[in-house]
Amino acid sequence: MKGTVGLWLRTGSLALRSFCLVHVINSHFYEFTETRGESMLPTLAAINDYVHASKKYRNGKDCQIGDCIVAVKPTDPYQRVCKRITGMPGDYILIDPSAKEGDDIDGQAFNSYIRVPMGHVWVTGDNLSQSLDSRTYNSLPMGLIKGKIIAANDFNKPIWHDGALFGFRSIENSYSDEF
Amino acid sequence: MISNLGKLGLNLRTTLIAVSWIPVALTFNENVCYVAKIEGKSMRPTLNPSDKTHTDWVLMWKWGAKNPANLRHNDVVLFKSPSDPQRVYCKRIKGVQYDTIQTRHPYPRAIVTIPRSHIWTEGDNAFHSTDSNEFGPVSTGLVLGKAVAIVWPPSRWNSSLNQSVGRGDLSIKGSAI
Repeated sequence: MKGTVGLWLRTGSLALRSFCLVHVINSHFYEFTETRGESMLPTLAAINDYVHASKKYRNGKDCQIGDCIVAVKPTDPYQRVCKRITGMPGDYILIDPSAKEGDDIDGQAFNSYIRVPMGHVWVTGDNLSQSLDSRTYNSLPMGLIKGKIIAANDFNKPIWHDGALFGFRSIENSYSDEF
Repeated sequence: MISNLGKLGLNLRTTLIAVSWIPVALTFNENVCYVAKIEGKSMRPTLNPSDKTHTDWVLMWKWGAKNPANLRHNDVVLFKSPSDPQRVYCKRIKGVQYDTIQTRHPYPRAIVTIPRSHIWTEGDNAFHSTDSNEFGPVSTGLVLGKAVAIVWPPSRWNSSLNQSVGRGDLSIKGSAI
């Protein structure tokens, strides 16, 4: 009887310690997690795409324009979004480049400009027509940034194809300065 | 010699076991509760009532604190500053999601409706507080925890966190808009 209780206690304590170790690594160093949704096409697939996120960049530390980030959704703390930074603090942003002259939704002209406040970034999905992003919920506070996406694995691809395991590719900063 | 080696092995084992509990402590402090030091005078007279005597330490409850359903009017919360992710502010909730609130200077509009999963925060000491009137509604994703009690110094154990609630009720009822 005593032996059984001891075994359960040992197993429980080992499970607790392992779980917490994984949790600490996931929140402070590195996470490998699934992404869903069409908002980041063609960079990330809508289903079965997994990303490698570096947590060194949490709270927006060292993040730059053009980086892909994972963040908590400002309008729902239990959902995470994956977007690309398209404006840094102090930048002037055209709210919606796809808006036409005279577009007016809820009294707000979407062909107007906004200045990103301190400690915030402007984020948009790569697939502007299927993305809920800063155009809807305004600038994202850097405190909500959980990490930067450095690479991805696409499990829609075969195990080995074109020299990459499960469609492995690194996610690069896509920013190019045209001037 | 052999007994020495045995002792070394035992010490090593104890150390490793102790180290293996560090992630447990970290996880607990980051997700369940934590004791935080309050700096500044923005929550006077509730917290840090005077300059000279002491600094208050509060017990912070973190579990579920990001859930908008757990955040109510007049709760004292600690959250990451929207304008600087390295700073932590301690303020009182004066409005929850979908509320319509009367703001004060320097907020650009007189009346604001709080978006989904956001809160309106203000310091009790309205004249020395950087709060939602400067940076607007705060996403609950930035909330780190709720202050539930003062744990240090012992002379403050009986102080209530609700003895002063800042500007009172700021909400504007549906018919008034």
